[in-house]
Amino acid sequence: MPSCTIDGIKVEFRDGDNLVEAAKRAGISVPVFCYHPGLSVVAQCRMCAVDVEKMPKIQTACSTKAVEGMVVSTKTDRVKQARESVMEFLLVNHPLDCPICDKSGECDLQDHSYDHGSAYQRSTEERRTYVDLDMGPVIKKNMNRCIHCTRCIRFGDEVANIREMVAIHRGNNVDITTVDGKALETDYAGNYADICPTGSLTLKDFRFNKRVWYLKKTPTVCEGCSRGCNMEIHEERNQIYRCLPRENMEINRYWLCDEGRFNYKYIHHPDRVLSPQVQEGNSWAKKDWFETMASWKSGFRSKDAVFLVGTDLTQEELQLILHFAKSEMGGVPVFHFGTPNLPAANGDGDSDGLLKRKSKTSNLHGAEKLGIAPFQTLPAGKTQVVVFRGGRAELPRLDRSLKVTGFGVFLQEEIGQFSAVFPGASFAEKTGTVVNFQGKEQTLVRAILPVGESKLLSEALMLWKNQSLASGAA
Amino acid sequence: MLIKKKQGLLQPYYLLEIISGLWITLRKMLFDKKVTIQFPEERRVYSDRYRGMHYIKAVNGVENCTACMLCPTVCPAECIHIEAGERSDKEKYPIKFEIDVLRCCFCGMCEEACPKDAIKLSSIYEMSQADRTVFDKGFLLDQRGNK
Ligand code: SF4
Ligand code: SF4
Ligand code: SF4
Ligand code: FES
Repeated sequence: MPSCTIDGIKVEFRDGDNLVEAAKRAGISVPVFCYHPGLSVVAQCRMCAVDVEKMPKIQTACSTKAVEGMVVSTKTDRVKQARESVMEFLLVNHPLDCPICDKSGECDLQDHSYDHGSAYQRSTEERRTYVDLDMGPVIKKNMNRCIHCTRCIRFGDEVANIREMVAIHRGNNVDITTVDGKALETDYAGNYADICPTGSLTLKDFRFNKRVWYLKKTPTVCEGCSRGCNMEIHEERNQIYRCLPRENMEINRYWLCDEGRFNYKYIHHPDRVLSPQVQEGNSWAKKDWFETMASWKSGFRSKDAVFLVGTDLTQEELQLILHFAKSEMGGVPVFHFGTPNLPAANGDGDSDGLLKRKSKTSNLHGAEKLGIAPFQTLPAGKTQVVVFRGGRAELPRLDRSLKVTGFGVFLQEEIGQFSAVFPGASFAEKTGTVVNFQGKEQTLVRAILPVGESKLLSEALMLWKNQSLASGAA
Repeated sequence: MLIKKKQGLLQPYYLLEIISGLWITLRKMLFDKKVTIQFPEERRVYSDRYRGMHYIKAVNGVENCTACMLCPTVCPAECIHIEAGERSDKEKYPIKFEIDVLRCCFCGMCEEACPKDAIKLSSIYEMSQADRTVFDKGFLLDQRGNK
């Protein structure tokens, strides 16, 4: 690999790397605003200035390709001076909004101002202000904070394939807005908030909910579709506040769709079933696990039963159910369900040419790998159905005469025809493996403890078998 | 074995010492300036910088606080609880602002951290209560008649 020298450190780089990327390899971070690795390079903020030997002027690192033998310095006096000037220039119009800004704490402008800017302000002129139009349900706009880096415009244009953000007017009066002031249309609008280096575009959903420095981050995988985008769950005190994308160049690059981003909502839904329930007459009775399990078990006959498993369960859980059905229940048939009209993995495909896939669950490909057949019709003579579900798989239509029991995550309105429900863990509450459409095995990581009285599937089956949570007890 | 100490010459006459001790008590009681005060009727004046009960400053009836959460972040006792919200005349304001005063160590860090000059420690020091009190926003705004 070719190499260059940055701040006295010899770095190897890949052909085509710019100086920002090369410096990253050396562990040196060059401050940037307009540059984003997933977008084209426009070099218009001038924050990334570096000194390159034999070049008369300072260069923008984002638009300068690393070349064999190049000697770069990011710490010379004129670089420092240039950065300070850029910061001062950007802050001439930026409001002192940090106390009420949701970006505060993870804001590039704030960080760079702290590291490279001056603590004093010389300008006394009135600041430029805008009136903001509504941008739809996902993004809250505040253009007073904008530094006109155009990342948002390029994101729509280059990634989301929709030209909806534009810059109108010129010079000091530039206004970043949607075309004709319309609401955003893309299904990837959440990314606008992620890439905006300031608090101009923030998530409405997260607005004023939490200051970012309180959040604990767990790297995990989205369960929204069979792509398995890498994401991060941000949580505090067992409450999820938001999900952000995590870089994975082979799967989702830097992005996340809105469906996956807000999919976690059902976990804290007020109607989620959080304790074991039995339908008695027309009402639901909440009971404790042991009691419910004992009474439910006495009415269960394995020879009349079918197990339906959601393709939102992990490989470990599916394997466990297969084993349980075969060795403990004497061969109960197991079928999978998940996305209506998509029984097999070979029907899965791209649904919008970007990230979303047709299969709306995370593990269809894994279930098929384990040899589980899709659910089409009930085998003759079966009268009892046990549904195992992670929380996202769409429940199949079942005949009213059947006795249906649910294990997993359900909302109250989904369980009308059930006779009993045992609450289980959602994707954020358990650890396990899912297989995406490329056959890549990825790990879901537990971010929060199961809410309410929900139990992991392994615990529930243990209770079913032993009437106790201690293994081996009678 | 008990070791008997030899008595000094004047030791048998200790009544003299007792009388001189009592005289000191009598002198302090009758002639010196008193150091205690009759508390609820009389009050001490503390320095302006005394760190007592908190209050939230308001200007023209609008609380200064913007619910930036810097005071709960800096508070070493973790006794401030704020919930933020939005209303038409103020982009961000605290819907809920509670201080669990029994946990507070009156360090004054909240006052120092506040960018809006909103949370202040007054010189009010009488805080004894019969039950565990959490001071809510209304109470904190009322303190000191909001000076
Ligand atoms: S809104 Fe954000 S991303 Fe868009 S130009 Fe302004 S600062 Fe850049
Ligand atoms: S005085 Fe100190 S302990 Fe008390 S609320 Fe303020 S920061 Fe917390
Ligand atoms: S630091 Fe000041 S403005 Fe911020 S939440 Fe506390 S009282 Fe309110
Ligand atoms: S990051 Fe290089 S010019 Fe903006």
